[in-house]
This record gives sequence, structure tokens and C-alpha cells, in this order.
Amino acid sequence: MAGKSGREISAVPEGGLKEKLLTWEGALILIFVAVNILGVIISPVYNATNVLREMPKYLAEAFMVFGMGYILVLGDIDISVGSIVCLSATMACFAGNAGLPFGVVVLVCVLTGLCCGMFNGLIATKFTELPTMIVTLGTQIVFRGIAEVSLGSGGSISMQNTEGLSLIAKKIGPFPISFFVLLIFAIVFITLLSKTTFGRKLYAIGSNQTAAKYAGINVQGSRFFCFSLLGFLSGVSALFLLSTLYGANTTTGNGFEMEVIAMCVFGGIATTGGKGNLIGGFIAAFIIFCLKIALGQRNINTQLILVIIGLMLIVSVVIPGLGSYFGAKKKSTTK
Amino acid sequence: MKKKVLGLLLAATMSIGMLAGCGGSGSADTSASTDTAATTEEAAPAADTSSEEAAPAAAASGEGKTYALVTKSAGNAFMELLGQGFKEAVEASGGTAIIKDPASATADAQISEISSLISQGVDSILVAANDENALQAVLQEASDAGIKILTVDSDVAANSRAVFVNQASTELIGQTLLDACYDIAGGEGQYAILSATSQATNQNAWIEAMKAAAEADSKYANLELVEVAYGDDEPQKSTDQTQALLEKYPDLKVICAPTTVGIAAAAKVLQDSGSSVKLTGLGLPSEMVEYIGEDDAHSCPYMYLWNMIDLGNLAGYTSVALVNGDLTGAVGDTYEAGSMGTFEVVDVNGATQVILGNPFKFDASNVQEWADKGM
Amino acid sequence: MKKKSLWQTLTGSREMSLVAVLIVLLIVITILSPSFLSPTNISQIFRNNALTLLMAIGMLCVMLTAGIDISITSTLAFAGMTIGMLQKYDVIHNTFLLFLIGTGIGIVCGLLNGVIIAKAKVAPIICTMGFMYIWRGMAYVVSGNAWASGADVAGFSDFGKEGSPGPYIILIVAYVIFFIVMKWTRFGRKIYAVGSNAEAARISGINVDRTVISVYTIMGLLAGLAGVLSVSIYASAQPNMQYAKEMDVIAACVIGGVSMNGGRGSVAGTFLGALIIAIIAKALPLVGIDAIAQNLVKGIIILAVVILNVITQRMMDHQNLVRREM
Repeated sequence: MAGKSGREISAVPEGGLKEKLLTWEGALILIFVAVNILGVIISPVYNATNVLREMPKYLAEAFMVFGMGYILVLGDIDISVGSIVCLSATMACFAGNAGLPFGVVVLVCVLTGLCCGMFNGLIATKFTELPTMIVTLGTQIVFRGIAEVSLGSGGSISMQNTEGLSLIAKKIGPFPISFFVLLIFAIVFITLLSKTTFGRKLYAIGSNQTAAKYAGINVQGSRFFCFSLLGFLSGVSALFLLSTLYGANTTTGNGFEMEVIAMCVFGGIATTGGKGNLIGGFIAAFIIFCLKIALGQRNINTQLILVIIGLMLIVSVVIPGLGSYFGAKKKSTTK
Repeated sequence: MKKKVLGLLLAATMSIGMLAGCGGSGSADTSASTDTAATTEEAAPAADTSSEEAAPAAAASGEGKTYALVTKSAGNAFMELLGQGFKEAVEASGGTAIIKDPASATADAQISEISSLISQGVDSILVAANDENALQAVLQEASDAGIKILTVDSDVAANSRAVFVNQASTELIGQTLLDACYDIAGGEGQYAILSATSQATNQNAWIEAMKAAAEADSKYANLELVEVAYGDDEPQKSTDQTQALLEKYPDLKVICAPTTVGIAAAAKVLQDSGSSVKLTGLGLPSEMVEYIGEDDAHSCPYMYLWNMIDLGNLAGYTSVALVNGDLTGAVGDTYEAGSMGTFEVVDVNGATQVILGNPFKFDASNVQEWADKGM
Repeated sequence: MKKKSLWQTLTGSREMSLVAVLIVLLIVITILSPSFLSPTNISQIFRNNALTLLMAIGMLCVMLTAGIDISITSTLAFAGMTIGMLQKYDVIHNTFLLFLIGTGIGIVCGLLNGVIIAKAKVAPIICTMGFMYIWRGMAYVVSGNAWASGADVAGFSDFGKEGSPGPYIILIVAYVIFFIVMKWTRFGRKIYAVGSNAEAARISGINVDRTVISVYTIMGLLAGLAGVLSVSIYASAQPNMQYAKEMDVIAACVIGGVSMNGGRGSVAGTFLGALIIAIIAKALPLVGIDAIAQNLVKGIIILAVVILNVITQRMMDHQNLVRREM
């Protein structure tokens, strides 16, 4: 029933539209190409070197797409990731400035994220009546609050020993290291979701939690795992963000949660759960990055860029909806 | 199966498209990029040798050069004035000005903007930093690319930039604000500070300077700082915080708000409630016309600020001077800032600065006039 | 025996348990800051949080239909910024007209949300997230990096000035209207019906789409109104106003017992929830908590109250079960 992969239950409705756009992922690839062509047309300096050079700061955000994708497939949501990034980065800076070796700093950064994620998961699974939006709204304020308190007045810290950070900011050829790490993560998490029973279980939970429970799936365990995973990935994100920032402050990671959710949704993952796949989210992330870079090089008003992204988001979700709307109309008229 | 083949096909076309795109843009762009590369290479050694004689005696014009300004955030009237002044100065020197307003007032957002400017191969980047630490890496990258870095309004670590264009020395601002509190309170009593966010670099520096000045002179012994509150530059939170200060300290005499949003919010609270507490600080005249006056009907007898347009002007001329080699950023350097006269680089606590002047006092006699000028 | 019945009333209804939370909160605050319940303070609580209180009603309606709207503060900023600029450039200074324009903008924004959500079957959070970016961006574009301030909105700001009854009247009228609408009118019942079971509602002859559209339009209207009110109360219009405050409104509703799955929630509960949020905001600077720790404390309180809600709910269910067994 669930077929070979999660793709069979993708966000694209059956019917006329599918033939036109083939799959949403196919359309995304076309959009990606279009955005790059647009970039070349509108900006004289939009070339591979420059795009790859501007990319690392954006790439850091992309790690969270995988975790958020899992959470959305479950039908949950997590709006605390921006704050987790802030707290992880802050703790990593404290660890680094305390003279700990870089390996430990990496561990601190990632583990802080993991702990935050586990805390989210704990509350979400112990109090299942609570919508996760509210749980993570609370922890969003709390996590950033902890960072604010530990940063004290001044609210900013810089990593004194930047050797380790500059190491992970290095490039292999023209590509930053984070790009390769991201690719590995992408392969692992995309396979995990679309090719394994674990992945299929997540879709089952997202489609119908009660049914999944009676089918013997450990629903709460899976949810806990996914929240922890997203926390962990936010820690990774924080680490790579640190390699472009060399420091953290109370506003670090502000607004990331919405950007990451937007990438997932633009990639075809439905917030209602059980639909979409990570490849879409992954491509969508790059579409948004390239668009931001291209429009940025054109010195377009940053707020206007947000308007464009908002419009893209709405259009991308309205198209399948319209398809089914007209499809339904056609069906009823032919009857 | 069909889907897979199609996917592969699309992937192939995409990669071809990408390559073609890159190749195309690369070749189309070579002339432009080599152009900028050449100029930056020319300029870089001049700066490195840092011998004034070796610097090309180029005309004080910015012909064909591009100067960029990264403000604190979009939608900020204060920064808009800075941008105006910057643009005037740059265009008067014959250069092109790029002004980038980050989407939000964070270091994250500024990094994207600076990164984009590096791609565009600008000649100088002027930053009003949102965080003194977090821009270090990207500024390093920019100066590696041969771009001149300078800061205005709020500084970054001194080794990340050539020079800081300061509105007025931090010590002087602290002293001035403290004197204002002393004067308005009548020499003794309680005063409180309403700041922006807890990590706002310049606000923190000024508050520290106020505290230091109070320590330094026994004259201020009877003046007591009761609390530093943070209104986060939000009208609502600033209002809450001001009301809380009034509630908590019934004997409070003066509130000092060294931030434009905070001072306007506090002024409204004090004036509407007819409180006897008076206000001073740093504010924009256009925001404060309603509230400035000597009598009891107004909440703020006087306040300070500097001419933001002049500051932008000076920053613009400093950018031009830095790029054409008139200025290296070393202590003692002097340069011509257009019609503004000659400025000298000074050392303040190990940081090289150019200082615009003294804080300017706004009271009932001149505030309307300045507000009409658009400030 | 008497103690038990008291316990039962406390846990027996959500509003009562909220009142209990509120009383505990007030007792703690009054101990720490004895003058907290002075008339001035109470009026300030309502005035400073009029926006949250007002938008919470709209959010209640939206959440009753199992929806959510995170574009509200962007709508607020767009409406507020527009009327701010209209005054700055001396186009319109008539208070009534400005209110009309601001709410009009809100209605249009809300209508768009509603139509897309109802007709194109888009998940509410996604649709409103898109508009969150769009309207906020439009607020910046309208502002042209300028602010409208005290002198620009003089006259207009008298409406929301301290001591003016304006904001209170709007709040009272809004709450009374919605209390009546939600409790005793067909429209109110329709909203509950759609949220409890959309399919059943459709079969019983309710036009679900139209109900959803009107709910989001109401939300837009209130957000637009809040935008105008904001400019009037604070005598300032800046494009980043109330940024990210939609979460406060959502938190207020959830604390007030509104279910995010739709169909459950009341105007009284929403009011109490919003009041708790308002009291926290007012009390934090007063009770002597370090400025830097205020956000942390706020987050912990919100989390604690929400979890407490769940626990009392569980007790309620348990009690009902026990009663039934008897």
C-alpha cells in the first residue's frame, strides 16, 4: 500500500495536474533552474564562485530542513529551532572560551541542541493533549531566555580561539565543507524516510495517529525521536553558523523556524502530516537560497524579497489546491 | 520507472543549465570583475605599505568607484538619515553609493548583505554593526578580497576594520547625559536609565561611560542610579518599563533614555500621565517635537543627538578617502572630508576613530527647526 | 466534604480553574509588589495590552474552526503603517476615517486569507505564513524607511491617550458583541459546528466555506483595528511594530482553554487567558526580576500554565469517569 517510498503519498493530487507537472519535485527542479537563469540575467556577478562563496551562511540553515521535514510528516511542528540554534551557539562559545579543545566544543554545541530537542520531545509526548505548536512556543521563549541569562548584560560573546571554526569553514575545491556534510546528511535522512520501515511508520503516524498506534507502532517513541533529531540538527546548524559568525548573541537564529518551515512546505511537505518528502524540501531550500543571493546581488529591498518568498509560498500551496478544486468541479459537471 | 528516467533527465538538464549559466556569466563578466580586481589590487599594496608618500596622489574623487553602506535594519528612520548623508557625500565625490538595509536588526542579516557586497566587488563597505563580535569572519573575508572596511554609529572589534566613524566620543556622551540628569534632578536624587536591548553595543558603552563619570567626581555622590531597564526598542515594552519605573521608585526624578524609540515612548508616558518625573537622553527631533519644553506640560526639557546626516556625510567622505589612499586608518592621519573640513584619526582606548563632534543639544528653541529639516 | 466540593468546582470548569490560576498569580505579585492592584495599574494593564486582548477574540474564532492565523501582526503593521503615513504626509487627519481605512485594510487581508484557506484548501498555518511575510514586507514598503511619530499623529493619538476611554470602549464593545455572538447567535453556533466536525456541519446544511471565510475576515478586521489602535495608543508607527507578537495572542488563547483542534473554547476563557499574559507582561518589570531574566521567566510561566491546564483537564476527565461509574 505504502509502495516503494513515501513518494506515493506525496502532496501532489492525483489527476490532471500530475500529468502537467509530473511531480512536485520535478517542478521544483525546473524552478531551481529557472531561478539560476534569472540570477544570471539580473545580476552580472551571479556565477558559481560567488554563489558558493555566499552559500555557507545559508547552508547552515538547511540542516534543520531534514528534522523539520520529519516533524511535519508526523503532523507536528517545532517553532523553537531558532532558539535552540541560539542556545547551542552560545554554549559552544562558552566552552571554546573556557579553553576546551575544539572536539569538545563541537560536542557541547551538538549536545546542547540534542538536549533541547529531547526536552521538547519529552513535553510533547508526556502531555499529548498539548499541540506541539504551543509546547515549542513556550520552549522557544525559554531556550532563548536561558541564552540571554547566560550571556548577561552585553548579550554577545565571541569565540576567542577561531582555529577550529576556520577549519570547518574551509573549502574543498570551490565547495565549502558544510556542503559535503549537508549532502551526506541529505542522503542519510532522505533514505531513512523514504526507503525504510521507520520512515513508513512516520508517514503512518502522520496520516492517522490512532490507527498507527493500534497497528503496533510506537507512536510516542517515534515522536520523541524526531524532536530529539531536530534538536540535534539544530545543534549542527549552530555549529556551521558559528563558523561564519565566530560568535553568538541574543538574536542569533531569530526567525529561522519560519524560514525552515517555509522551505519544507515549499518543498511539498504538508503541515497536516503524512505527506511530502524530503527531496522536495532539500531542493526548495536551495531555490530560496539562490533566489535570496540573486536578488541580494541586485540590491533589491530585503523586505521586498520577503514579499516575493511569501508569494511563492502561497502560490506553491494554492496550485495543487486549485487543481483539486477544478478537478472536483469538472467531475461534478460531467456527472 | 518513468518517473525515475524523467528525474534523471531533469537533473541532467539542470546541471547542463547550471554549467552553461556559470560559464556564460563567467565570460560575460570577466571584463567587469577583472576591472574591480585590478583596482583593488592597486589599492591594497598602497594600504599595506602604509607610507603616505607611496599612496597614489589620486584626485579626491571617487570616480567609477562603488561605496557600500550596510545599515542596522530596514524601516529605521534613524538609519535612513545616515544613508541620506552617505549618499550625498559619495555622489558629490563622483562615486556610486549602494545602501543595504538588512531585513532585521541582527548580525545574521548583516552577514548576508556584506557577503553579497563582496560578490559585487565594491570598493568599500561601511557597517553600522548590530553586534561587535559576530561580523568578524565576514569582514575578514571582505578585507581579504581587498575591500576597505569601516564602521559607523556602532563599532566592531578594532582589528576587523580600518577606522570607526564615531558620532561623538563615548566618554563625552556619557558625561553629557550624566550632566543632563544632574542638572534636571537639581543635583541630587534618583535617576533611572531606559535602554534599548541588553546587547545594544553603543547603548551599553554610553551607560558604562555614565557610570564611570559618576564614579569619577564626588559632585555626583547624591545622584543615585536606581535601575537600568530595557525596552527593546519596542513602544509597548518601553511603555511597560517606564510605567514600572514610576511605580517602583516614587522618588524618581529623572529618566535617561539613550535610544530614539525608548525616549519617545517614555516621553509619551510621562507627558500623558502628567508625571513630575522628567526625561532626557538621545532622540530624534522629529519624534520628540511634541514632548520637548521647559514647562510642566512637557516631559522633556532637553535632549541630545548629533546630526545624523552629517554623520553619514563624514562616513561617506571617509570611505572615499580610505579607498583612494588619502587615509590608511593609522592614528594621526588627516584627510579632507569635502565641505566639512579636515578630520584626524585619533586613538581611543586602542581603537582608531574619527569623531564627528560634540553631542548637539535640542531644546524648545531649536527642536521644531530641526524637525522641519527632516531630522 | 466541603473541601472536596470546592476542589470540584475548581477543576470542574475550565474558566474556574483559570480564575484560580489568575488569583494565585495576583497573590504572588501583590506580595512582591503591594501596590500592583491599584486602579492606575489595572487601567494600564488593559491599555497596554489592548492589542493582544482585542486580537485574541479573532484568534478564538479562527481556532474554533481548527485554524490558526500567524499573519495578524503583519496585518496590524500594514494597517498601522498605512494610516501613520497618511497622517505624516497630511493626507487624512480625520480619526473616524483613519479607523475606517485601517480596519478596511484588515478586512481585505483577512478576506484573502479566508478565501485561499476555504477555497483552495490550503493549511491555515501555511497560507497565513505566506501573508505574514507579504504584509510585513508591505508595511516596510509603505513606510519607505520613515516613522510616523508624536507630532505626525497629534490629534489622532488623543483617542488612545492615557485617560481617554477610547481603547477601553473598543475592548468592552468587542468583548460584549462576541460574547453574545458566540453564545446566542446562529453564526456563533455555526463556528463551533464547523470546528467540531466540518463534515457533519456541511451535511446539516451549514456553508462551511462561507463560515471559514467570515472567521478569517473577522480576524483581519480585528487585526486592522488593533493596528489603528496601536498607532493611537503609542503615538508611533514603525514597520516592525508588534513583530512576532502573534505568538502572545495564540498563547493567550491556548492558556484560555481554546483547543487548537477546533470546536472548544469560549470568549470568557480567552479573556482570562489574554489577561494572564497581560498581567505577566505588566508584573515582570515590577516584581524586581532582573531585566535580562524577564523573558526566561515569562516563558517558564507560559509553559507551566499550559501544562497545568492539561493536568486539570485530565483530572476533570477522571472525575467525570468516576462519577459515571458511580
